[in-house]
Amino acid sequence: MDHDIFGEFREYSVAEFFKKNRQMLGFSGKVRSLTTIVHEYATNSLDACDEARILPEIEVWVAEEGEERYRVKVRDNGPGIPEKLLASALATMLSGTKFNRYVQQRGQQGIGATGCTMYALITTGQPVKVVSKHKGTAIKCSLGIDFKQNRPIVSDLIKEDCSPDDHGLEVEGTFADVKYEKSGYGVGEYLKRTAIANPHATIIFNSPEGERFTYPRSIDAIPRKAREVQPHPLGIGPNDLLDLTKGKYESTKLSSFLQNEFTRVSLNKVKELQELVPEVDFNMKPSELTWEQAEKLVAAFKKVKWIAPETDSVVPISTSQIEKSLRNILNPEIVYVTERPPKIYRGGIPFVVEVGIAYGGDVNKDKEGKPASGGVVMRFANRAPLLFDAGGCAITQTVKDIDWKRYELRNFDDEPVALLVHVVSVHVPYTSAGKQSISAEDDLVDEIRNAVMEAGRQVQRHLSGKRKEKEKVSKKAAILRYVNQISGDLSELADEVKKKEKLRANLEKMVQERFE
Amino acid sequence: MAEKETLEKLTGLGKTMVEQVDKGKSPTFEASLRSKGNIEFDKSVGFLRLGDKKEERTFLNVSQARTFMQTVAVANKAKKFLAEDLHTSIRGLYYQLKFSLGEDIDESLFEEQSESNALVEDLEVALSVKREDLHLTTDRKGVVAGNMIVKDNFAGEQTEIDCAQQGRSGWMIPSDVDNGMEFVDIKAKYVLVVEKDALWQRLNEDRFWKKDNCILITPKGQASRGTRRLIRRLADKGLPVYVFTDCDAWGWYIYWTIKTGSMNLAYLGRDFSIPEAKFLGVTMSDIEKFPFLKKLTIKAKEIDIKRAEEMISYPWINMHPEWVSELNKVLKTGQKIEQDALQGERLTFVGEYIRQKIKNKEWLP
Repeated sequence: MDHDIFGEFREYSVAEFFKKNRQMLGFSGKVRSLTTIVHEYATNSLDACDEARILPEIEVWVAEEGEERYRVKVRDNGPGIPEKLLASALATMLSGTKFNRYVQQRGQQGIGATGCTMYALITTGQPVKVVSKHKGTAIKCSLGIDFKQNRPIVSDLIKEDCSPDDHGLEVEGTFADVKYEKSGYGVGEYLKRTAIANPHATIIFNSPEGERFTYPRSIDAIPRKAREVQPHPLGIGPNDLLDLTKGKYESTKLSSFLQNEFTRVSLNKVKELQELVPEVDFNMKPSELTWEQAEKLVAAFKKVKWIAPETDSVVPISTSQIEKSLRNILNPEIVYVTERPPKIYRGGIPFVVEVGIAYGGDVNKDKEGKPASGGVVMRFANRAPLLFDAGGCAITQTVKDIDWKRYELRNFDDEPVALLVHVVSVHVPYTSAGKQSISAEDDLVDEIRNAVMEAGRQVQRHLSGKRKEKEKVSKKAAILRYVNQISGDLSELADEVKKKEKLRANLEKMVQERFE
Repeated sequence: MAEKETLEKLTGLGKTMVEQVDKGKSPTFEASLRSKGNIEFDKSVGFLRLGDKKEERTFLNVSQARTFMQTVAVANKAKKFLAEDLHTSIRGLYYQLKFSLGEDIDESLFEEQSESNALVEDLEVALSVKREDLHLTTDRKGVVAGNMIVKDNFAGEQTEIDCAQQGRSGWMIPSDVDNGMEFVDIKAKYVLVVEKDALWQRLNEDRFWKKDNCILITPKGQASRGTRRLIRRLADKGLPVYVFTDCDAWGWYIYWTIKTGSMNLAYLGRDFSIPEAKFLGVTMSDIEKFPFLKKLTIKAKEIDIKRAEEMISYPWINMHPEWVSELNKVLKTGQKIEQDALQGERLTFVGEYIRQKIKNKEWLP
């Protein structure tokens, strides 16, 4: 046996890699795959609208085309995409404006929409149809991918003029190996939660059963634009550090690269770092940095005392907006939303946790007003709902570990309660590229727990108030029913039998007054 | 206590509460706290009694309303028993008061007998009366024989009882020896309390009480309220009281309950304790004087050891070095001796033993 094992060796493109590892993008399981498709398009739409300062209006259609085969269409009123970027945005892996930007966004890796295109191609062989209206030009085309080259294939391109006021993007694809389900994992629930987390957006969903769900916006204010910030030395690993050195820094030294590209790195801090890693030449070109050196630098970062990063790079939904949307969409008896300052995890990454709790009323009830489920935890990261991989998520684990009895909720799973937990950060630590669960960073877990407990205390206050009111009434009733007996016995015992009625009246009056 | 006085106390309790209601206040009454923290041994008088801690019971309090109503109902019921001159047990009382509070109320005045026990005690403490004064009887236990004549006014009849004419059975001590009971004549010179009925029968057959002119009582184990009251009343007539029990923790506990009263009934104080009582035996030291007993000891049970350890911790017991030494002997040897063992050589030795002990003043305090 003497054959060359490297005979068939060749390089795989990123697109090929993901084609073979589609579950990493969230395409695992039929229900989840469909939700992922809608998620990717809707997130892109919302991010694009926010970027262009437009109040989003997003309409989604899901139609059954055959056995486990659906057509999905998403249309937004965003800025559209210019012709030269259109193909790469929707049909090239790891491209787009979001990649490698240090700013809070819903999507992060720039593989989402391309992933959907890929999924359409491998399950039905059909390219996706796109209509983009951008600055007075409407482009219609079909988009496929050359997997080997990681390149878009554009066909049927039509270019027309349109009114500059008419803008937006419409993507339509046909997908197989997917399934629509009316469950907590389905498209309907996903869009409902998206609406909750984006009270400035109007979201419409047309279901395969022909129902139309409209979630009108609760507020008219576009969220404050999250500021793009420089990374903090404690917020990165060796890989991130090497990425940052790519290309742009041919003329500078490593020492000035660190000062220019990171927040909180001063000349003095560079000197401190130099003392910690004398073997690294701080006069070298950043692009020449090796993995070993990057590792040593990152280790040195952790030994230096840094000022914490600025926290204004994170923009929460805000207390009043979450409250409005929870009221609008869930119609609960009470709502409480926490308002907490940003915190830092890993010493260098700012984040905010928002927790909203909705209790009673129509929470978790079906259309007929019957309880449909027990306590629900709605997880969000940067305004995007997280529906899957709940078991491994820091939010789920933290909520599960809380002793709900302390908050007058006997058993969380049986109560009419919906808990919204929203983690906002320039870098949400997802456990995988599917971006459906958050990893259990200590600082994050602590903050989530504190926020959930704060919300829990408010519910407790409300419920114990209600309970006390009820008890007062029952206390009154409990004593009142003894009044007749004791009046009779007392009047006899005191040899004043005629006084019985007077005693009774007086005692009744006293009880009424005491337990008013 | 005269029945008239008890009646006045009951009516007074009612009048006070009615006045409170007239003034727009919640009816209340005050009773000494009966919990362990309020029980103290009064060295100057030699018995257990309640301290100064009081507790107010009030009607307008959700946690107390029901028991308060029940207490008033019991007081009123007791008043009726007194007026009708009828007696009943606490269980009888419970049945008298077990009725619905009203047609539309799904609740009875009393659901369980256990509910009535605590509030009878409340009333006893609040009014300084005994339950016997409220015409509530307890189970009889205890038998007496001796030169003593009592007059019993009961059920509208008067009977004279000569305790020297009761044959082999003796006179059974009633639950109440105060109301309607009088001593007509007491010729006996002292009181002998014998723990076990078997030994009482031995001494009765020996006519010990006649020969030694004493009043022979057996409580048949732990002394009942009636028996303790009888001994107390005889002690009040100036008769010395000697107690004769098994040599084990249980027997000694019976002695100490007679002498100082018990924790449970500490609220009854002097009426139910006889601090002047003396302990004749059996003691561990008896083995040294009567060598035949050495072979007749038996192994102490776990409960005996536990009780001995408990007793040695009570200040009213460990203030007597004689008792500490006796208890330590039990703990050390792990042995005990029964009263019955004294019959080991000769049945009539029991009487001789008692005579010798009293004559030589060989008793423990």
